[in-house]
Amino acid sequence: MATIDQKSPNVLLQSLCCRITGKSEAEVAHQFQYAVRVIGSNYAPTIERDEFLVSEKIKKELLKQRREGDAALFSELHRKLQTQGVLKQRWSVLYLLLSLCEDPRKPSRVGNYGALFAQALPRDAHSTPFYCTRPQSLPLSYPERLGPGAAQISTSMGTSGISSLGVYSLNGPTPTPQSLLAGHQPQSAGQQLGSRLAWALPTTPNASTLAPTSRAPLGPPALSNRAPRPRRDGDPTSEVGEGALVRDILYVFQGIDGKFIKMSNTENCYKIDSKVAVCKSLRDTSSRLAELGWLHNKIRKYTDSRSLDRAFGLVGQSFCASLHQELKEYYRLLSVLHSQVTDTRSARCTSSPEGIFRVLQAIRPVFLFQLQVEEDQGVNLGVESSLTLRRLLVWTYDPKVRLKTLAALVDFCQGRKGGELASAVHAYGKTGDPQMRALVQHILSLVSHPILNFLYRWIYDGELEDTYHEFFVASDPTVKTDRLWHDKYSLRKSMIPTFITMDQARKVLLIGKSINFLHQVCHDRTSPGKILPAAKSVDSPKDAAELLSDLEGAFQGKIDAAYFETSKYLLNVLNQNYLLLEHLQAMRRYLLLGQGDFIRHLMDLLKPELARPATTLYQHNLTGILETAVRATNAQYDNAEILKRLDVRLLEVSPGDTGWDVFSLDYHVEGPIATVFTRECMNHYLRVFNFLWRAKRMEYILTDIWKGQMCNAKLLKSMPELSGVLHQCHILASEMVHFIHQMQYYITFEVLECCCDELWNKVEKAQDLDHIIAAHEEFLDSVISRCLLDSNSRSLLNQLRAIFDQIIEFQNAQDSLYRSALEELTLRLQFEERKKQKDAEGEWGVTAEQEAEENRRIQEFQETIPKMRSQLRILTHFYQGIVQQFLVLIMTSPDESLRFLSFRLDFNEHYRARDPRLRASLGATRSRRSSNI
Amino acid sequence: MASTANANNMNAVRETMDVLLEISRLLNTGLDMESLSICVRLCEQGINPEALSSVIKELRKASESLKVSENSTN
Repeated sequence: MATIDQKSPNVLLQSLCCRITGKSEAEVAHQFQYAVRVIGSNYAPTIERDEFLVSEKIKKELLKQRREGDAALFSELHRKLQTQGVLKQRWSVLYLLLSLCEDPRKPSRVGNYGALFAQALPRDAHSTPFYCTRPQSLPLSYPERLGPGAAQISTSMGTSGISSLGVYSLNGPTPTPQSLLAGHQPQSAGQQLGSRLAWALPTTPNASTLAPTSRAPLGPPALSNRAPRPRRDGDPTSEVGEGALVRDILYVFQGIDGKFIKMSNTENCYKIDSKVAVCKSLRDTSSRLAELGWLHNKIRKYTDSRSLDRAFGLVGQSFCASLHQELKEYYRLLSVLHSQVTDTRSARCTSSPEGIFRVLQAIRPVFLFQLQVEEDQGVNLGVESSLTLRRLLVWTYDPKVRLKTLAALVDFCQGRKGGELASAVHAYGKTGDPQMRALVQHILSLVSHPILNFLYRWIYDGELEDTYHEFFVASDPTVKTDRLWHDKYSLRKSMIPTFITMDQARKVLLIGKSINFLHQVCHDRTSPGKILPAAKSVDSPKDAAELLSDLEGAFQGKIDAAYFETSKYLLNVLNQNYLLLEHLQAMRRYLLLGQGDFIRHLMDLLKPELARPATTLYQHNLTGILETAVRATNAQYDNAEILKRLDVRLLEVSPGDTGWDVFSLDYHVEGPIATVFTRECMNHYLRVFNFLWRAKRMEYILTDIWKGQMCNAKLLKSMPELSGVLHQCHILASEMVHFIHQMQYYITFEVLECCCDELWNKVEKAQDLDHIIAAHEEFLDSVISRCLLDSNSRSLLNQLRAIFDQIIEFQNAQDSLYRSALEELTLRLQFEERKKQKDAEGEWGVTAEQEAEENRRIQEFQETIPKMRSQLRILTHFYQGIVQQFLVLIMTSPDESLRFLSFRLDFNEHYRARDPRLRASLGATRSRRSSNI
Repeated sequence: MASTANANNMNAVRETMDVLLEISRLLNTGLDMESLSICVRLCEQGINPEALSSVIKELRKASESLKVSENSTN
């Protein structure tokens, strides 16, 4: 090699010239000069520097010549060449050999070699005939396509175009489009060069051979006579040839205005200039082809405008990227088509279809197969090189469908971003066309990749890196940690991609929320990796595609697994570290008065305090009493954590309130459990507590009343005049006791216990914190409504309050009765005592004066008795009236258990007998029930 | 050492040339050993094979026409 390299190309070229021509150096000077010029000219290679490709072409060439054995031999030789590795530019040598190849079966070197010279300057070769007729337009030829000269040409052609059409229809020997003639004329290899040259001209040789026949009646052609000339069918100067259109179309494909085909702003489409003379079929075909350019422009405009827009977000960016990918594929096709045009102009036929094959291979295997068959059958061998509009139409059929889909997609996705965009793309994937579906699937996998990335970051790390608000989980940074669970994160409904169901989206929201809750509220620093053993994120769009294809299975499985693990972990932390369940039970025991001994003792201790006006109460005193009550009862064995939270609260004092009205137990909830026991929940608890406390107090009062009756009954036996009043008292008291006991029974067993049991069952089954919160809220709601605390049963509650007030009034009345009776009794006893004492001293027991005094007092006392009786009667009357009202209301209540309560309250049908409304409503309920059956 | 390496190299070059000649024969390019070796050298120097092939074809044509004219004059 060293020796070879010493010689310069020029010396080698010279010796080559000598060798081939067989002449001496002096004689070949002319040829040598030419050779140097050609080789040194700026003659850009139109071929691929690909050894494999060249060798494949050689094989194909050999096969074409029906020399299969030689093809095998060549492969062997080629392999040997590759192993030796002496040559560096193997492709070049092989290419040279290939282009010098001659088919031994065919007559060699018949073609016009002159064409080869023209090929060094292909544009000139093309436009030569044009110059012949129009020398003045020479400087304004093809390269300056949009110059004034071009306009002049097109106008002159425009006028001729119409007339040529007319002549065509009159004389037209063959209205067949030129491309068809060219496409189906089998040509021998000998003709190849000629046809290639002719292709470079705007017309095919066939058209020109036909020309004389049609030209004949119009007389001989004259250069000076330009007007009739354009009428000629297929004349290069008049009508725009197919070649020119093909070149134009290739520009239009890229969205660049061609020479003849331009963007028409008014109609928003590419059109052949109406002034240009083109035969109708060509015009139609090219406008059909031009649609591709329009589609391309549309997509291009979208990606261009969007790729600069930062706020468009990651999903949008990946959508643009996928569109770019598709466009790149499209450009590849265009570049091959371009090289095809250049190839044919430089008279190389064999390599041209290869490039298209490769591109089409990527695009449409079926089509490739068809072409292969065509080639194998030996049809169209000679014409393969020529790129006609029809050929283009076929070759661009598939890209057009793709571009159309993309353009429709772009239209549909206008103004959408994030998950919405993914939904839009997904909607397009629901088509029966497998190719379209594959295309959309591919785009979707790219588009959904960022979304799935968000999703995995969210469910595995709890991180939300969504700068452009594309993900369907939204975070509100203004929300403080105490409301984190309820308010911080929400679903953006519009951003949920349609391939993710609402249920999945909710689960996804919950998983991330749980992780954030653990971190921020529970201060649990366990790494998410420990919660979830299989935390793996999508790394590539391919993974995303796989996931998309298996949405039902793997994706659902992943989300479910993450959901179960995270929720379980969260509930564990809440139960073990934060005693959530214990707190729930404590609520029941303390705020809902479940711990009976404690409540009773507390009431005992508080009674003297609470009887005072509310303004004189001090919280610290009451707190002290509370502690005493705790220490004295079974509550002391409760968890210190819970007892610590127990406190006293005084409600707002309004004038005239006693301690009973403002006292309330309180339970401090802070930290994670405040998520379950929210402020609203605690308010509900306080309301329920107040109601229960009041009912409990009634029970307590009635116990006191009963105690008084029992204690005083024996004492007052000595005052027979009181027996009637006392009897009245007993009757009223037992009526009240019955009522209150039934109420208490209802509240304790039918409301609280049932609700608690329900809550407990639900909490045990709960899979996530949301379930617990929901169950708890449901529990509170039902307690509130069934304790008559909701707005629907306000009238019932008012009646109940009135009954309670009557009880208190009764207590006062009876107290005063007993007080005066006992006072009287002691006075009488004292009188008797004094009488006895005097007797013992041997004096007169009583003086007449004293006796008169005594009798007068007894008289006075006895006179107060009817007053008491009437007071009691009024009380009884009021009380029974209210109870009756209450029963009527209860009867009509929709709650079944309340109706049953009414039966218990009126067990002996005392009220029913008294009130016709009760009878009617009972009947009504019965009839209603029977009608239900 | 240098001489053996050189000899090896020469052997390899010769074999390569043989292979290329065989291919050339298969493809019926009409190149003899010498023109082929010149062409290979040119290609190795990065000459565009397309241009080279057109030059060769042109040279052949020129010599042919020359022969024809010589024949006619003769």
